Parts: sequence; C-alpha cells; structure tokens
Amino acid sequence: MTRTWTWMAAGLLLSCAAAHAQETGYTLRETEVKAKPFLDAENVGKLPEKAQVTVVSRQGGWTQIRADNKLEGWIRLLSMRLGSPDPQKKPTAVATAIGFGKQRPGGGPTVTTGVRGFSEEDLKAAKPNPEEVKKMETFTIPPAGAAQFAAAGGLNAQTVSYVDADGKFVKVKK
Amino acid sequence: MNSRLLLHVVVLAGAIGIVAGCAGPQGQAFMDNIGGVDGLMKNLKQATGTIKEPEEIEMGHGITETLLGARPMVDDAELQRYVNFVGAWVAAQSERPQLPWHFAVNDSDHVNAFAAPGGYIIVTKGMMNLLQNEAELAGVLGHEIGHVVRKHHLNAIRKGAYMNLLGAGAAGAAAGSQGGELVNALVGPTKELYSRGLDKDDEFEADRIGLVLATRAGYDPWGLASSLQTLAKIKPDDKYMALLFKTHPNPSDRLDRLGTAMGTTFDTYSNRPQNADRFQRAVAKIRTAALN
Repeated sequence: MTRTWTWMAAGLLLSCAAAHAQETGYTLRETEVKAKPFLDAENVGKLPEKAQVTVVSRQGGWTQIRADNKLEGWIRLLSMRLGSPDPQKKPTAVATAIGFGKQRPGGGPTVTTGVRGFSEEDLKAAKPNPEEVKKMETFTIPPAGAAQFAAAGGLNAQTVSYVDADGKFVKVKK
Repeated sequence: MNSRLLLHVVVLAGAIGIVAGCAGPQGQAFMDNIGGVDGLMKNLKQATGTIKEPEEIEMGHGITETLLGARPMVDDAELQRYVNFVGAWVAAQSERPQLPWHFAVNDSDHVNAFAAPGGYIIVTKGMMNLLQNEAELAGVLGHEIGHVVRKHHLNAIRKGAYMNLLGAGAAGAAAGSQGGELVNALVGPTKELYSRGLDKDDEFEADRIGLVLATRAGYDPWGLASSLQTLAKIKPDDKYMALLFKTHPNPSDRLDRLGTAMGTTFDTYSNRPQNADRFQRAVAKIRTAALN
C-alpha cells in the first residue's frame, strides 16, 4: 500500500514535470523564429520584444515555442525568460515553481512542509557540527568511480577552454 | 589537529587582542615591533596568502562544520552518493582534480548552494527540488567548484574585512578551548562571509567556469542557464530565496552575462545528455517526502 502511494506521488511529480514543460515565457528582444533548432535553419517568422510564448520543449540552447499568433518554431534559450515580463504580475513562489504547495487531486489539503531553513538567521545561530562533516567525507567518490558513473550516463569528456566575459577562450593560469 | 596556519593566526591574533586594549606595556612593545596595526594586517594577509593545500582543506573542513551546523545533511544515502558522483565527475574536469572533493545535500527548504575552500560543496534540498535534470545540477555544482578552483572564499578572507574576526576568534580559541581551535576561529568569519556573499565578479566568473566544466564533463552546456531561468521567474521576496538573492547578482543579470559569454560557441555541444531520468530517480525520495 505504501508502495502504491509512493508511485502515485511519483506519477504526480512526473505530471508536474510535464506541466513544467508547458509553461509560459516571453521574449527579451525581437527574435527570429526558426523551423529547427539550428542557427542556419529556415526562419519561419519573427517575434517582437516581450511577446508571450508557451514553451513546448527544449533542446540544447533552443526552446521550442508557440506564440499567441499561432506562430510555432524554435528560438534561442537565452533570448527568452520564463514567467511574465512584468515582475509584479503573478510572480512565482518557490513552492509553485517546484510543483509543491498545490491543491492535491481529489480535494486534499494544500501541501505544506515545516520550513527547514538555511536563512541568514539560521546561519548566524549555527554551532559547528563536526560529526556531519565526517559523515559528508564518507561519501567521497574516487576518480575511477566518477568515470564509471559518467560512462553509464553516456557522458564523454570534452576539451573546452574557459571563456572570458566576452566569450573569448582563455588559457588557465596555473 | 593543528597546523602552521593556526599558529600564524594565533600569534598574530594575540596582537589583535592587544590592539583591543587587553595587554600592558609588553604588548605595546610588541605592536611597535611589528609596525602597528598596518604591519599586523599585512602579516595576517601574508599568513593566509601562503596557505598550502592541506591548510586550505583544513580551513574548508572548519567552515563546513559551521555550514552543516546550520542545517545537517538530508538522511538519504543514495541521494548523497548521487550528488558526489556528479560532483566528482565535474570536478575532475577542473585544474584541481586532485582535491578530495566532498558534496552534500543539506536538509533545508531554502534554495541555495555553498562552496568552502579545499573542495567542500553543499547544495540545499530546496535547490535539488528546483532543478530538473543532471545537466542543471552539473552546472550548479560546476559554479561552486569554480569558487574553490579560483579560491574566491580564501581571497575574500584575505581582503581584510574578515581578518579581525578571524584574529579575534583565534585569540579566543588560543586562550580557552581545547581542540578544534581553527574551527572556533573560523566560526565568526564563516557566518559573516556566507551571509554577505562574494563579489559579484566572482559570481559571474564562477558561472562561466560552471558552464565550461559541465560542458567538459559531456553535459548539455545550457544546464546552468536553464537552472538560472527557473530562479529568474521566482519572486524576489520569496523567503526561500532570501539568502541566495542577497548574496548573488540577480538571476536575470547572470543570464545576460552568461549569454554573452556563451555566444554561439557552445552550439557545437548541443544535443549532449541532460540525464533527466537518472536525476529524477535520485531526487524521488525527497520529492515524495515533500508531498506527504
């Protein structure tokens, strides 16, 4: 029974994740809309600054969007922001962004958890906890273990230089 | 425990006690000898400026005792292991792969992440709940790893504002308590530094390092940008965000800077894994707990 509830909760989370993908955003500037998520893909239209869009999906540096005027296509991820262009209008709370604190299906109570804080006050009141750091140190992963984990996740190491604020590659001073 | 570092700090901190007026003519002679307050501060800067790696790690350990003193780790060994796997792989791409990197998720609903010198990194449970996939986590951990690699916290302590606190703590520690002297000396500066935050430029630099380390690790390079987009839509006065927003430039500014730094260079690495499934499995327990 407990397991059933766990899976139902997991399902709810997945549906939250799906709802997350359907969220809305707006363009930061006048933006070309492409047919495919590539720089040299065909332009299918243009959106003005602060155009409202619905996020359909994401791929690398591109967001697939649907605009109010039915225009569909791909825009640069960093040429848009999620939410509303007016911060005073319907700002998102953390609980909402996560998908918590919403009314549960079936009319259950609103989900709330006791606040376990790491506020400035909590930090100021902190006393050193040596045992926790010792515990933290027991989870350390050796390099070989990390490489195995990467391989299992389909991750291949790349050679990429650091970039400066203007996006130019820089050498690392050792 | 103990090290050259504490010795430096304690000796010089003794002089700070003198400045505070708790010593007699001998103290005055000592102060004259080391060139007054200016000389003292210079010596303290030198003491921390020559910190070797083992001492840096010891300092990070001490700072982390206070950070985990504010909130302990989440009791979820699989999640802790998972975060250490991702973190170790990303850190292995940095110029300090030999550090003993340690990662932890703390049991806090606030959204934040912290780095301490020597390779200690803490992510809050609230942050884990906000992230959507492993590429985003890699970007966030990469940002924190960037602070360690560039020694941002060590340099902040050296800048002097924290020196009085470090010195006073060390003087107190030398006078009284047994054991854990360095930890006690670090309590004040830790609280001050982690509630004030680093310079904005350090944060922007850490974003660029996080971006590159996650890309080197083989992830979708837009993970960090994507996590910042989530942060950017949250209302600025949300209590869960207060400390993060106080100590960092606002997420929209960070996105603008990151966008400029990324340009179209990283398009070469599009379609790299985000590993959302593996991430969702790792956080399933804390998310289920939050729903119940």
